[in-house]
Amino acid sequence: MSYTSFGYLFLFLPLVWVLWAVLPRRGRPAVLLAASLLFYWISSGRYLIWMLAAAAVTWLTGLLLGRLDTLSATTRPELSPAGRKTFKKQLTGAKRLAVGGGAAVLLGVFLWLKYWPFAARSIAALLDRMPGALSLTVPSYVLPLGISFVTLMAVGYLVDVYRGSCRPAAHYWQVLSFLCFWPHVVEGPFDRWDSLSGPLLDPPRPSYKNLTFGVQRVVWGLFKKMVIADRANMYVKAVFDDYTQYSGLAVVVGTLLYTLQLYAEFSGCMDIVLGSAECFGIPLAENFRQPFFSRTVGEFWRRWHITLGAWLREYLFQPLILSGPWKSLGKFCRTRLGAAAGRSLPVWAALGVTWVAIGWWHGAGWLYLVYGLYYFFWQLLGEIFEPIFTARIPRLAELRSRRWYRLFQVLRTCLLVLGGMLIFRANGTKAAIAMFRSLTVPYAGSLLIQLDARDLAVLAVGAVLLLAVDLLHEKGIAIRQRLAAAPLVLRWAVYIAGVLAILIFGAYGDNYDPAGFIYAQF
Amino acid sequence: MHTNEEILKVLAEIKPGLHPAADDELIKTGLLDSVEVMQLVMALGEEFDVEITPADLREENFHTIAALCAMVNRLEEE
Repeated sequence: MSYTSFGYLFLFLPLVWVLWAVLPRRGRPAVLLAASLLFYWISSGRYLIWMLAAAAVTWLTGLLLGRLDTLSATTRPELSPAGRKTFKKQLTGAKRLAVGGGAAVLLGVFLWLKYWPFAARSIAALLDRMPGALSLTVPSYVLPLGISFVTLMAVGYLVDVYRGSCRPAAHYWQVLSFLCFWPHVVEGPFDRWDSLSGPLLDPPRPSYKNLTFGVQRVVWGLFKKMVIADRANMYVKAVFDDYTQYSGLAVVVGTLLYTLQLYAEFSGCMDIVLGSAECFGIPLAENFRQPFFSRTVGEFWRRWHITLGAWLREYLFQPLILSGPWKSLGKFCRTRLGAAAGRSLPVWAALGVTWVAIGWWHGAGWLYLVYGLYYFFWQLLGEIFEPIFTARIPRLAELRSRRWYRLFQVLRTCLLVLGGMLIFRANGTKAAIAMFRSLTVPYAGSLLIQLDARDLAVLAVGAVLLLAVDLLHEKGIAIRQRLAAAPLVLRWAVYIAGVLAILIFGAYGDNYDPAGFIYAQF
Repeated sequence: MHTNEEILKVLAEIKPGLHPAADDELIKTGLLDSVEVMQLVMALGEEFDVEITPADLREENFHTIAALCAMVNRLEEE
């Protein structure tokens, strides 16, 4: 069931809300769980079994970790100092085994289903080039809905329980409610147990404010998706799917529109899911913070898909650097290359691994590896040259405070992101290289590809509106709070204008090809 | 007991030109990003011979020079 479908917006969401609101407080978590299971079953059918099994593994592992902590709390005070040390060592080993086992099962299924076909395809292609009769059958699997999101959230929960930063869930249904909560199961955000379990398992009372704020956000998300993203998709699809026919300005416009499409669609989807959850008084994690005002590539990724970056930082990047092999690498670099290399090279190596993970999280293919490495290259370049520029240009700090220099940094970052977007959308690595090359070839045809002047005007107005809203948020202006405080007539005029804009300018009906949510496929 | 000045000395090696006061916010203001934080972790471990674990990588331990100094002193005592 798509978040933009009639069934979701006019049947599922209102009916679940009414049922949730009329039931007594104790019954509300059960409504949310039943609704999540129904949503998953409608969207994914028999793959619901995977969800039930993943939640069971997560719950049991968390429970085991909790029991080990309880055992530690009751046993340690009775031991001698030497006994405590031995016990602590044994307990840490048992906890590592438990968390490692649980994570291995969850990640094993995920990696097998998502990456083995790609690995087998690559190995088979290699075998084909070699003499001999060796061959490998390439399997094809259907991925359970949201496997990339649910697996990482489940592993994050286990690591948090292992580290002692949250208490494990006592009951199976609680973990199941957390993992398969319908607003975040398709495209995220990656929520954390410690921040979501409270409102999810003990929801607040129904409130007019939560409902209206939630609906407003859903409408804004629909506007982004249906008016901007789905319209831009037609131009983008034509240029990228038939890239040999286009060059120069057509590719530039195609890339610009894809960037607009992806941002409007992904952030629009987040508005719909965060708005849906807000109707029930449940705050999900924000995934965007005006990314196109970033001054560096690193900052862009701290503002774009925030929860993926945070997950990888906390559960991959940081633990890698603190791991034994990385410490050995640091020691090796320090003794051979000096103190500065000893603290920088291991961090950069972990950064490289993290970028590869970001690339490959988005898809199993060489193109996604190139995508990750593309951003790694630019960030590494910044890391290497930053101290050199700081030392050689004494005025740099003063320059960076100037408005024109900030604008230059923002535009530079946008340009680099556009390059990344071209790679991300291209139909393969060869297509991406060909499209980069075609940028230097002038394009003589019409720029009205699949869209007429009216469509392009709607896109331009939509883009300006998106930019204006981001600019207000960047200045710290809470638009919905301001709107809520506005006179009734003005407030409703804005609501009606928003709905009418979707009805009049939304890309739907027979002449349009409605696009599925891009991030749902990851 | 280590002092804020010792922490500042290590920080200056990671980010030359940065001279925050003991209570200046380092993370929320963007003075230190996640890469610089981890370089600082490596440098603190090396300089003071303390073991910083993933559980220590909480914002409250890194948000000011004073918090960093308190963390190093606590880890040294443990």
